[in-house]
Parts: sequence; structure tokens; C-alpha cells
Amino acid sequence: MSDKAKSLFEAYAAGKMSRRELLTKTAQLGVAFGAANLMLNKASTDLLAADFNWKAHQGKSLKLLLNKHPYVDAMIANLENFKSLTGMNITYDVFPEDVYFDKVTAALSSRSSEYDAFMTGAYMTWTYGPAGWIEDLNAWIKDSSKTAPNYNWEDMLPGLRASTAWNGVPGGELGSADAKQWCLPWGYELNNVAYNRNMFKKAGVEPPKNMEDMVNVAAKLQRDLGGPYGIGVRGSRSWATIHPGFLSAYANYGQKDFTVSGGKLKAAMNTKASKDFHELWVKMIQDSGAKNWSTHTWYQVGTDLGAGASAMIFDADILGYFMNGGDNKEAGNIGYAPFAANPNASAPTPNVWIWSLAMSSFSKQKDAAWYFIQWASSGDHGMFGARKMDFVNPVRQSVWDDSEFRSRINESYPGYLNQHDLSAPGAKIYFTAQPLFFDLTTQWAETLQKMVAKSVPVDEGLDQLASSIDRQLRDAGLG
Amino acid sequence: MNQLSTSQRVFRGVLLGLVILFFMFPIFWIFLMSFQTNEQILRIPPSIFFEPTLINYQALITGRLETQAGNLDIAFMENLWNSVFLSSSAVLLSLVLGVPAAYAFARYRFRLGEDIAFTILSFRFAPPLLVLLPLTLYFEDIGLSNTYTGLIWVYQLISLPLILWIVRGYFEDISPDIESAYRLAGHSWLQTFLKISIPLARPGIAAAGLLSFIFAWNNFVFALVLASADKQPVTVGALAFVTASGIQYGQIAAGIVLSVTPTLLLALYAQRYLVEGLSLGAVKG
Repeated sequence: MSDKAKSLFEAYAAGKMSRRELLTKTAQLGVAFGAANLMLNKASTDLLAADFNWKAHQGKSLKLLLNKHPYVDAMIANLENFKSLTGMNITYDVFPEDVYFDKVTAALSSRSSEYDAFMTGAYMTWTYGPAGWIEDLNAWIKDSSKTAPNYNWEDMLPGLRASTAWNGVPGGELGSADAKQWCLPWGYELNNVAYNRNMFKKAGVEPPKNMEDMVNVAAKLQRDLGGPYGIGVRGSRSWATIHPGFLSAYANYGQKDFTVSGGKLKAAMNTKASKDFHELWVKMIQDSGAKNWSTHTWYQVGTDLGAGASAMIFDADILGYFMNGGDNKEAGNIGYAPFAANPNASAPTPNVWIWSLAMSSFSKQKDAAWYFIQWASSGDHGMFGARKMDFVNPVRQSVWDDSEFRSRINESYPGYLNQHDLSAPGAKIYFTAQPLFFDLTTQWAETLQKMVAKSVPVDEGLDQLASSIDRQLRDAGLG
Repeated sequence: MNQLSTSQRVFRGVLLGLVILFFMFPIFWIFLMSFQTNEQILRIPPSIFFEPTLINYQALITGRLETQAGNLDIAFMENLWNSVFLSSSAVLLSLVLGVPAAYAFARYRFRLGEDIAFTILSFRFAPPLLVLLPLTLYFEDIGLSNTYTGLIWVYQLISLPLILWIVRGYFEDISPDIESAYRLAGHSWLQTFLKISIPLARPGIAAAGLLSFIFAWNNFVFALVLASADKQPVTVGALAFVTASGIQYGQIAAGIVLSVTPTLLLALYAQRYLVEGLSLGAVKG
């Protein structure tokens, strides 16, 4: 690379020149587009290295445990930059999502030192953290000798920072002053409506504005389209049925899973408002949901939208994002809309799933592992993934503000930015953090199945659920 | 034996046809899926007519799937090789250890003999996860973690009890008089074992070996817990087609066809022994 080209990239990386300007000038120098992108990443890496000793752990080798995911593809595509920045080597194991958490749990519960860092969801840290399997990352974030000055922790979306921090006390508020930062947000999804624009046009409907409207719109779609079902939501007997659209709508009515009083938890699913909401939700599935709704997970909900078998979904926004591309039949036809279930709510309150990075307590090179974690969660890598790969949704405000990223999304994913921008302020985990999370939330999904199957009335089902959960909480010393 | 009337024969034929259709249709459908793209598979309503493509097999064999969404690296053939290597090695080792042991349990009475045999059998009943977590710790300490040797050793929990107990039954069915006669002719114990006992028990050994191979092939959790991604068998590898951004149904179907093939070929080859072996062992005279 000529000195002139090099100085152009350095100027861009330092924010002194726009990207368009850079590409025009490099083209004038005869630098090909692909080469220009590579040089740009290299220049960004050099800039990252400017004020911090990234070579402190040169020669060390880390091993990561990762889930097969577009976020990982983006990281692997940019990994050479990390290696050249730090002089460290990285190996990794990538496992399919279906078995990923079994592998993580087996590795951590057997106190294996094989993996230094791994991907996790925030909910999982409610088990891993109190068990002593993962590190409180505050120790590194707050140590200026170990964290680059331009890391900018405050740039992470506040709801996500809080949602990945917990003090370990059952019912303790996420992100409280005494909370431990069990993991760092890496990429996330919030829950809104993604819909088939052609089908909506054909049926003459607009994206729903509230819960009652959703029930009616879904029914009209089902009636008028003569084939596809009205709305896709998850229904399998799993905690994962509760956390996307369902809890986002539930929270929008101001409803909670538990009340916390004097350090004791009490089930709160059987309030009058909760029962009214459940009635609507159950009716919506009975009238306009998939016939085999009780088997539907992330995969079926997404596949049906992509294949044109459903008219809309109320699920993760990135699920709608993925279905708008690839080999899907409906690629290019998917639109996105924010959704506030409660007609009196001022904005959506989406519950979130956050793919995060955590450090194993059994790692023998924690400082080196931290170097990887901070690089992977840095604005620099986030920007690369968001612009060039499918590293959505970014967890940093600076990436959301990036004009190149925004124009890429705007062109191919109409309404996506709008649904995100309107919902992001209220996006966080709305569950109460407690160690029985998976068991109790799965029981909630099981009750929902019974209600939809009409084997128990909503009113009675929720009273039974609350009573059973209270008993389990008492048995565990939590209620 | 009563002769069947024409109508009874027709009725029987229809019933048999329905049973075959019921059991074979899913396999036939998977076979068809393996020659379709995802879009063809997911069309509504599904159709039996389509333009066949080899893209799924090509992707699995070359290790690279090129889609409009981007390129996906596939380690399926490595997974298939791991399954072949782990299952074959485990069964071979079990045969080497298990057949002489089965002979000893069948022919000789020794102190704690039955206790040892039942202890080995009990490995089959232990929940795998109960065994695996402590094993992970030990394997880390002795350097067997994430090694083929360690995995083949753990696979003995599947194959050794099966081989030992099935083959023991066959040795017990063979009259000791034949062996005695051969030994009286001046042959050693080892010669008798190799030239008389093993050939006579061959159908049983083949049946036990094949069954063990199928059980080992279908195992999922041992390699998942004890080894890295590069040593995973096909049972774990096939899940890689289920990703956050979509399910690759065509590759899953092609993967099933490819992964069933080695076991199917082996079963076809050993069918003669299998039927003979299983039926002989089933009836005690």
C-alpha cells in the first residue's frame, strides 16, 4: 500500500473523512473496492492499538466455545485483525444451538479449563453466576490498565448493560448498584411484529396497533388469505415460548411474573389484568395461530413467515430480518412494525434476548480472555459486523447511529430501523431474576398450552399456576 | 396349514402394503427431500414432482454451501468420518476384549464371575450424564479429554456389555464336547478357542457386533460432552443445519441419507448372520 493510500485510511479511521470520500479517493489511486475494505479494517485496528498495549498477552492462545450463529460468522471473518492486534492465537469450538447449552453446562459444571470464554444468554448467567462458574467482569471493565481507553462501556445500550448484570439475590433488580456484570452484551434481539407486506396489502390491513387489534387483524388475514395462518408465535413446552412476543406484550400492560416483598417472591400471573391479557392471547392463537402451534419454536415461527405459510409473527425482530433474505420464498416481502400491546402504553416494552460473552472462572488466562472479550464487544468490531455482516442487532449506540449501517438496513429492511428506534428505550429483560427461572417459566408455557387446548379455563389455569409456583418457591426457600 | 382364499390373499396383500407404506413413506419422503432445494421443500402444498438437484449432496461432500444469504462451511464429512472411526474402533476393541471374556463367563466358574458380568451389564443401564460429568474431570487429569482414545474407551460402555452378554449366550449353546474332542486330538486351549469356538459362535458374534455398531453410531452425548467440535459424530454434526437464520431441510435430508448408508450396507452384508444369530440365540434347547 502506498503512503498516500495509507494516510487516507488513517484519516478515515480517525473520523476526519467520510466513507464515500475515502472510497472515491482510493479509487482514484487505483485501489480495488475489496482491497479498500481490508485496508480500512487494518487501519481501524491500528487506531485501536494506538493508546493501549494490546500486545500484553502476545503468544498466548485462547479457546472459545461458540454457538453456530451469524454473530459468530462475523467474528470469525474479523478474527485475523484481533490476532494481528494482540499477537494472540484463537481456537474455537462451534456447536449447533440445539446442543450448545448442554455443552456449556457440561464444560462449566465439570470445572473444565478447556474454554476461556464463551457465548451465553443473560438468563443462563442466573445459574452460572451464583454457581461460581463465571467471572464478574466489572473487575476488568473498571481496571484502566486492562481496558482500552476507547472501549467506551457507556456506549452499550443501557437496557442491555443492566440486563446482563445481577446481584445474585433472587428478585434483585437487574443492573442494580451492587450487581455483578456476569457477561457483556454482544448482539441482541427485541420482539416486535414482522409481517408479509404482500399479504397485508391483499387483505387490506395495517400492522396491528395493540393487542385487541392484533387479534382482529390476525383473524381477518386468516379469513381473507385462504391458506396462510394469521399470526406466528411460539408455543412449545419451553421457557422460550414465554420470553419473546408473549412477555413483551404482558409487560406492556405493566404486568409482572413475580412480586418481591421482604426478599420473598410471589407469583403474579393471576391478577385481573394478567387474566384479561391471557384471554386475548389464547383467543388469538385459537382463532389465527398455527394448527400445530404447541410445537412451534423459533425455527417454525421463522420458517413459516419466510415460506409464506404465515402472514405475520410477533417474535424477535432479527428473526424477521433473517427471513427477509437468503433462499426464503418471501425474501424481500417482509416489513417490520413496532408493537405496543396496551392501547394506553406510550411505547413498546420488548423483552430481549441478549447473546453475550462470558468468562469462565476455570480459565487459566483470564486477563488474556478479557482482551478477546473487550475486542469482540468493542465498537470497532461491532461496526465491522453491522456494516459488512449480519451482526444485528448491534448493542452499541454508536453503531446504531452509523449512517452506512442505517442506509444498508433502510434499503433492504423497510421499517426495521423505525421499529428498533421506537422500541429500544424500553427494551430490557422483564423477567424477575431468580434461580428457578427455567423450571417455572416452562411451567407457564405448559399452562398456556392447556389453555389454548381448552383443557383448562384461563382463569382457573392461572390460579393453579400461581399456586403451584408459590409452593415451589416456598420449597426452595424463595417464597 | 390352511390354504388362503383369493380374497384373503388380496386382503393380506393390501394390509402388508399399508404397513410397508406406513413405515417406508417417511424414509421415501426424506430421500426425495434430499434432491430438492429449501424453497421446493417448503412450498405449499408440498408436491412429489420437482426438478431434482444434487446441490445438497454437493454441499455436504465439498464442505461448502453457497446460498443467496452467503456461504456456509459444513463439516459433515468430518462428522461422518468420526462416526465411522469411533463406532468401528469401539466395536473392534469390544470384540477383542468381549469375545474371550464371554467365553470365560460361559465356560468357567470363578470367584465373583457373575458379579463381574452383571457389573459390566449395569453400564448399559447407567444414565450417561451421571457417568460423563465425573469422567470429564478424570479425563482432564489423565490427558484423555478431547482425544479419540478417550472416546473409544467411553464407547465401551455401549458396546462391551452388549457383545459380552450376547456372545456369552452363544458359547453356552455350543456343546463343550466338541471342544473337548478337539483338545483330545492334541490341540491347545488357544487353538480350540480360535478354530472351534469362535467359528461356531460366528453368527452370534456378527449379530452382537452389528447391534453394538448401531448403538455406538446412534450415540449422541458422549462425544458432545467429552470432545471438541472436530471430533463430533454425525449425530451432533447433523444439527448444524438448524441455525438461527433458518433450517436447511435439504442438507438435513441428504445428511440422513448419507449417515444411514454405512449402517444399512453393513446390515445388508451381515443380514445372513444377523437373522441366524438372533434366532439361534433366542431359543434355548
